[in-house]
Amino acid sequence: MQVFVQTLVGGISLGAIYALVAMGFSLVYRTMGLVNFAHGNVVMIGAYLASTFYLSVRLPFALAMIVAIAVTGLIGVIIERVLRPLENKDFDLMLIGTIGFGIVLDALAILIWGATGRAVPSPVRSAPLDLLGIRVRTYDLVVLAVAAAATVLLVLFLQRTKRGAAMQAVAMDHEAATAVGIHVGRSNAIAFVIGAGLAALAGGLVGPLLYVSPSMGGALGIKGFAGAILGGFGSIPGAIVGGIAIGVLDSFAAGHFQGYSELVTFIVFAVLITVRPTGIFGEKTVNRA
Amino acid sequence: MRYSRFGVLALLVVAAIVLPYAVGRYTIHVIDVTIIFAILAIGMGLAMGISGQINLAQIAFFGLGSYVTAILTVQEGWGFWTASVLAILATVAVGLLVSTPALRVQSHYLGIVTLGLALAFTNWLTNTELTGGAEGISGIPVPSLPGADLSSEYLYYYLEILAFAVLLTFGQFVVRTPLGRRLRAMRDDPLAAGAMGAEVPMLRMTAFALSSVYGGLAGVLYAGLIRYVAPETFSIANMFLLLAMVIIGGRQSLVGCVVGAVGLSLVREWLVDYPTYAQIAYGSVVVLTVLFAPTGLAGLPERIRGVYRRRRPASASRAVLRPFQPYDDAGERAAAAAPALEVDGISKNFRGLTALDEVTLSVPTGEIRGIVGPNGSGKTTLFNVISGFYKPTGGDVRIDGRTLTGASSYRLAQAGVARTFQNLRLFPAMTVRENVLVALDRTRTRSIWRYAVWQPGVWLHDRALRREADAILERFGLADFAGALPPALPYGIQRRVEIARAMARSPRLLLLDEPAAGLNGDEVRQLGEIVRSIRDSGVTVVLIEHNMGLVMSLCEHVTVLAGGRIIADGTPGEVATAPQVIEAYLGDSMDDVLPAEKEVRS
Repeated sequence: MQVFVQTLVGGISLGAIYALVAMGFSLVYRTMGLVNFAHGNVVMIGAYLASTFYLSVRLPFALAMIVAIAVTGLIGVIIERVLRPLENKDFDLMLIGTIGFGIVLDALAILIWGATGRAVPSPVRSAPLDLLGIRVRTYDLVVLAVAAAATVLLVLFLQRTKRGAAMQAVAMDHEAATAVGIHVGRSNAIAFVIGAGLAALAGGLVGPLLYVSPSMGGALGIKGFAGAILGGFGSIPGAIVGGIAIGVLDSFAAGHFQGYSELVTFIVFAVLITVRPTGIFGEKTVNRA
Repeated sequence: MRYSRFGVLALLVVAAIVLPYAVGRYTIHVIDVTIIFAILAIGMGLAMGISGQINLAQIAFFGLGSYVTAILTVQEGWGFWTASVLAILATVAVGLLVSTPALRVQSHYLGIVTLGLALAFTNWLTNTELTGGAEGISGIPVPSLPGADLSSEYLYYYLEILAFAVLLTFGQFVVRTPLGRRLRAMRDDPLAAGAMGAEVPMLRMTAFALSSVYGGLAGVLYAGLIRYVAPETFSIANMFLLLAMVIIGGRQSLVGCVVGAVGLSLVREWLVDYPTYAQIAYGSVVVLTVLFAPTGLAGLPERIRGVYRRRRPASASRAVLRPFQPYDDAGERAAAAAPALEVDGISKNFRGLTALDEVTLSVPTGEIRGIVGPNGSGKTTLFNVISGFYKPTGGDVRIDGRTLTGASSYRLAQAGVARTFQNLRLFPAMTVRENVLVALDRTRTRSIWRYAVWQPGVWLHDRALRREADAILERFGLADFAGALPPALPYGIQRRVEIARAMARSPRLLLLDEPAAGLNGDEVRQLGEIVRSIRDSGVTVVLIEHNMGLVMSLCEHVTVLAGGRIIADGTPGEVATAPQVIEAYLGDSMDDVLPAEKEVRS
């Protein structure tokens, strides 16, 4: 029982990070119909930036994170700008274009930080908390708190601000949004910046949990994406639930199957998506003839 | 043109034969590896470019072929060739398994699922003892061939180039014959492909099976060449490299895929000391390709020709739409036992919204039935139920007396239902002739075993289809446009192509969804003639139309839908004067505006 709860808590904490990644995917997808396969690589860049500013420049962890978010936001703007001609046109091509960006980002990371990874010490140095006989890493709680705060801020932005409402409108019908005077391009760019920012946040937070390396983006990105699809692609609550589900699945798979955790996670994901392609909160789409 | 192409081919063959004499030991090794990547790229192109299935697990198929060969030869002591046969069979089996998600999800969903499975594969490779973990397996025996020592990379080159030539030829053969046309139709528009009788689920599995055959074969060749396998060869990074090859070369052309694979391999070799810069270079080229040359290198000649043609418009023989040549009259036929179409109490709900409510109608064989009604009255939904796109919430559909409720669209197509679409659904990247050819092919997907066993049979079948297609194009006056791509044609001609394509199915029942929309007066008159002739040839026609003049003159019987219900049914004259029809079209508010009318009616 104790092991079970501990695995669960670890899974939720990791899942919170997948949820952040998944929200970035979903936000960009619903706003502009773009599936950003470079998202995982942006997470990796975010992790490196945060760890660099934290370890080498010796900024406080929170400040290092903010700098990382700003820089990755800029990367987001660049990707959006370059791929803008394909928006709302050819889905598969755009997808492949973002894969191209991912390849470039990976190579850039190797150029700047080298091919070997680095370990990032936890910014919270206190001993694990003991809650009713269950040991919980303090950093796990920090991750959960930051992820929750980011989610609340994002939802408030989307629902309470004019800019957020405009983005919702673009998500529903970009042509109608143009017709009522919403600058669709700007709205898409903001979605991309926020998506990249969320990626950097996820990357910065995951640094002390995993090993930071140029190849970390692949698994993180695919698991975050899997979370987004599992929850229902394009849905923000879906991204949170799906991300946490993947995190918990991952954590239990690691407990039971050790090295084979990835194998188990992806096979379970493939089966789930085959059984229910729309995910938990996804809407059933109807083919119109 | 033909001769020059033959000459180029002969030149390439000669070059391929003499190449080993001109290069050193290291270069021949690079070439051997390049050929393996070219074979992989062809397989990837067949799945992605030809069939539209985003398969990011190709590298895992490659790995599986290599590893099964390695395990069977090194650990079980099998001979190389027996092991290789089993390796390919195993790869195809896994390929079919990986294709099951494709039956339910497409596009980016499929991309992420297959990428996940590829990651799962490397995860398995690095962990299990069977594959030697991260160390891999070494000491794979040299494939034995009487009279040739294949440990020499020069001789191995000949084995590879022969395999490559066979595989490329086979790939091109598939693309240009019925199976390839169906795969491309499915890529362009899976719904319309289903309506043309293509068994989409089977075809998706076929696409994965094809690409896994190429992946497995490449894997076997790799194991025989390098004689050592390790997980990093089959990493996601190499998957993306393979993807870059296919995209840069041009995914819709197998030759393009080969060019991409060769080109990128050479560039990588050239930048072998700077792998990171090479990675930046090909990543950027992928981005540039999708932005500026989506058809890749293979599409460039056509684009250049297009620019050249726009500069100097062709003045000679302009293509013209010729008149339709009527079908032979089938004459008076004995009344069929069962009506051609019976719709019995069909209902369809979309999450609480009732689109069709207990609709019942019966169309006798040989009738032209009109279905009219205001926008949103459920006409197209009814067609979608009849042609198998929607499963009805309740009720039954019978075609010639056979109950086919909720059958898939390809089954209905095979049962003799053909249709056109309100918003035109021609296969945009296929020529007019190919559009018709897809519809003409009435063989089932399971007959593709002939591709493996008896290719001349396929070829003869294809020839017969092409003759039939030319006859149909001739009949519909479309012969001049046979080689054109539909999006380049005027709207009225596209409409006619769609009818020709539907008639290529030789249907028993033809469903026309707003065939006159967007046509001018003369075109509408021609349409009337075509539909009448189609009926006279013995086909039952049901048409949805807003052009009342056409409906009144053409249809023998008209059914009026409003709000998902049938509100009137009878001859054109009867329904036109029915008060409920007038009310449905003009709204009851008219009663207040025109009190005089009300009095007249009561």
